[in-house]
Amino acid sequence: MTVIIEKDWREKELSLKEVIKKYPEVSPFVIIKTDVQRRGVKYTQKSIDKVNPEIHQVEYRGFSIEKQDSSPMSLILRDGTSILTGEMKSKRDPYIVDVVDGKTVLVDNGEVIEEVDYWEKPDYYDKVTSSGKPMWQIAPSRPQRIDINPNQYCHFWDKPGDGCKYCAIAATYSNNKDEKPKILDVKDIAETVTQALKQPGRYESIFLTGGSILSGKEVLDDEVDLYIEVLQEIGKNFKTKRFPSQLIGTAYNKSQLKRLYENTGLTTYTADIEVLDEEKFNWICPGKARVVGYKEWKQRLYDAVEIFGRGNVNTGIVAGVELATPYGFKSEDEALKAVLKEAEDLAKNGVSAVACVWGVAPGTIFYNQKNPSLEYYIRLSIGLDNLRRKYGLNIDMDNYRRCGNHPDTDLSRI
Amino acid sequence: MAIKLSKEIKELFEDKDTLKVLATTDKNGTPHVVFKNSFHINEEGQLVYLEIIETSETNRNLVSSIWFNRKVAVNVFRNDKKSYQIKGKPIKALISGRIFEKYYKEVRSKFEDLDLSTVWIIEPEEVKEETFNIRIEKEAKEHPLLIHLDRLVKS
Repeated sequence: MTVIIEKDWREKELSLKEVIKKYPEVSPFVIIKTDVQRRGVKYTQKSIDKVNPEIHQVEYRGFSIEKQDSSPMSLILRDGTSILTGEMKSKRDPYIVDVVDGKTVLVDNGEVIEEVDYWEKPDYYDKVTSSGKPMWQIAPSRPQRIDINPNQYCHFWDKPGDGCKYCAIAATYSNNKDEKPKILDVKDIAETVTQALKQPGRYESIFLTGGSILSGKEVLDDEVDLYIEVLQEIGKNFKTKRFPSQLIGTAYNKSQLKRLYENTGLTTYTADIEVLDEEKFNWICPGKARVVGYKEWKQRLYDAVEIFGRGNVNTGIVAGVELATPYGFKSEDEALKAVLKEAEDLAKNGVSAVACVWGVAPGTIFYNQKNPSLEYYIRLSIGLDNLRRKYGLNIDMDNYRRCGNHPDTDLSRI
Repeated sequence: MAIKLSKEIKELFEDKDTLKVLATTDKNGTPHVVFKNSFHINEEGQLVYLEIIETSETNRNLVSSIWFNRKVAVNVFRNDKKSYQIKGKPIKALISGRIFEKYYKEVRSKFEDLDLSTVWIIEPEEVKEETFNIRIEKEAKEHPLLIHLDRLVKS
């Protein structure tokens, strides 16, 4: 899958510096993060030589990322902003991570942009479970969050044409299936989390997500059951019933949501609608459209607010896919207007929309597409942040130190 | 431009009887002043401030300062009236990693009920002695005309 960098891409859109100048009210760190996530990075040998495998995190096994090379897992900026990025196939030049005057820096077009640090490795990473599994394969880590993907596969991919078109979960699983179980062992998860919690100050949140499981007495019942089992095991570590935690699951019906809330210590719930427009959703996420449907997905989010409480429910969007060709919006203005209108509808009902920058990934149906301009992402971040302020929606559940993948929620720091 | 702090200032920071005050501003320039006794100077000569409360006005203002390149001011004052003001810029917000965890453990060992949000690293750029007697002497020497006449009248 060769993706060719467009030679004249810089001439077609505002540069990083121009966007920073045009939006002086937006943190330059957040703008840099957004652009790095949009374009990816390339590590120089000098920057890789600065990785200390005793200190820095290099390995990661998630449902859509499998990484065992010697490059750093990802980056953190001076203000504590996480950047979730890596080497990717982009139609734009990536940022270069290099070492200049002894400091690790981001470089673009030959100019040093900003200093970066590498994510540090948690203490449990090199330990093994009693069944002999390396703990990093059970729970990958972000700077302040333990990540667990109990189901490493998504059953929307079982039916041809149903998988989400930007999603790499099926390709990631398929490329690693000889060593990667579809479902993690709950005992392995419990042991890993118990070990991770022995590191004071490392974690603020436990995060669960994975591919959809459509089976069960009712559709998605088996997925809910799996999460309940895992959360109950994790909950045994805590002296309080509820503990800071987030689950990104499929959109569950009311009885499933109640079951999840009442039987576990889960505090916050997310069901990613991915695309904030019904027509584009139906095209890009056909499985979700077929099994749940756009309007019903929104309704289930509102139902979740009744159960988990305002400020404890959100939905993620893969920002930019709404402009994919050939059936996406034709202009960024049109897309922004439609997306923010839908986000406002959600906010009115107590649901935050949070955006991830669409990193065009190999192995996805959209692998040869191009994500939107930096300015589009910044306008979207401003719009989503403004909606939360307008409707008084707290976003602690998905703030800069938990997920770290949402430029719009980084803006809530001030 | 970063400056080096004198040994005297470092000692002042280390003295448990020294009051340490941090002044920050929000995005509109509104000032906010608080006593922060966790301030100290690290091996690199930078000021280190431990923020306990994530959503405090001080923390928000420090985020705003690092984002938009604004200065903050710190004043230290000891009971012998020795005082210095240091202006500088927050250059790093540590929210994870080994250094953060070292301070986290320190905070938790002293205050069982407290958490730690951020370890702020502030690089000093200006320093000025604010000890009252020193300031008075300097003012008289540099601005001899600035005095009320009745103070000069023969008694």
